[in-house]
Amino acid sequence: MSPAILESARQLADAEPGDLPMNFREKTAWLNVIAMAAAYSLYFGLLLAGHPAGREVLPMLWLFGSVAVAHAVTVIVGTIILSAQAPKSERARADERDRAIRRRGAAAAYYVLLVGMMVVGVYLPFVESGVALANCGLLAIVLAELVNSVVVLMSYRRGWHG
Amino acid sequence: MAKPPFDNDIRTLRFLAGEMTQAELGERVGVTRQTIAAIEQGKYSPSLEVAFRIARVFGKPLEAVFQWNDGPG
Repeated sequence: MSPAILESARQLADAEPGDLPMNFREKTAWLNVIAMAAAYSLYFGLLLAGHPAGREVLPMLWLFGSVAVAHAVTVIVGTIILSAQAPKSERARADERDRAIRRRGAAAAYYVLLVGMMVVGVYLPFVESGVALANCGLLAIVLAELVNSVVVLMSYRRGWHG
Repeated sequence: MAKPPFDNDIRTLRFLAGEMTQAELGERVGVTRQTIAAIEQGKYSPSLEVAFRIARVFGKPLEAVFQWNDGPG
C-alpha cells in the first residue's frame, strides 16, 4: 500500500470526534454518585441541624430507613431507565476495561473505609450511645462509596491503563 | 493520565477495512465500543489477548497495529 494512501486514510480517520462516548456503566456510576450524595447530604445535614436521629435510636432508624429506601428506589428506577436506553451490547457484560476501572474504584474505597473504621474504633470508648457510633460508621461507608464512584468516573473520563 | 509508551493505528486500519465502526470492531473483539474508542485515544492499554484479537480482525501482525514509541524517558 502506498504511503500517500496510508497518510490520506490516517488523516480521514483522525477527523473523527475525539471525546470518549459515555457508556452504560459510566452513566450508572453517575446515577450512584448523585443519588448517594443527595440522599446522605440530606441525612447528615439534618443530623447537623439537630435532628433527634443524631441522639436517639428510633428517630435514627426512621430517618436512615427513609433515606436508604428513597436512595435505593432512585437507583433502581434510574438503572431501569438507563438500561432501557442502553444498546444491548453494553448491557450484556462488563469488558476488561470496565473490570479494571471497577477494581481501581474498589481499591481506593477500601482505604477510605479502613480509615473510617479505625476512626470508629478510636471513637468507641468515648461514647455512651451507639447512635453516634452508628452514624460515624455510616459516614465512613458513604464516603467510601462516594470515593469509589468518583474514582470510577475519573477513570472513565481521563483514562486508566489497568 | 499519562499516555502509554506505544501508539496504535486502529483508526487507520478501521478506515482501510471498509470504514469499520468502533462498535463492529468491539463486537468482533469482545469489548464495548467505548473501550475501542479509549484504546484508539491512548486512554486504555488493552490486555495482550485483546491486542492480538484486534490485530487478527485486521489480518495484521501485532506490530502493524501497535508501535512502541521510543520517546524521551
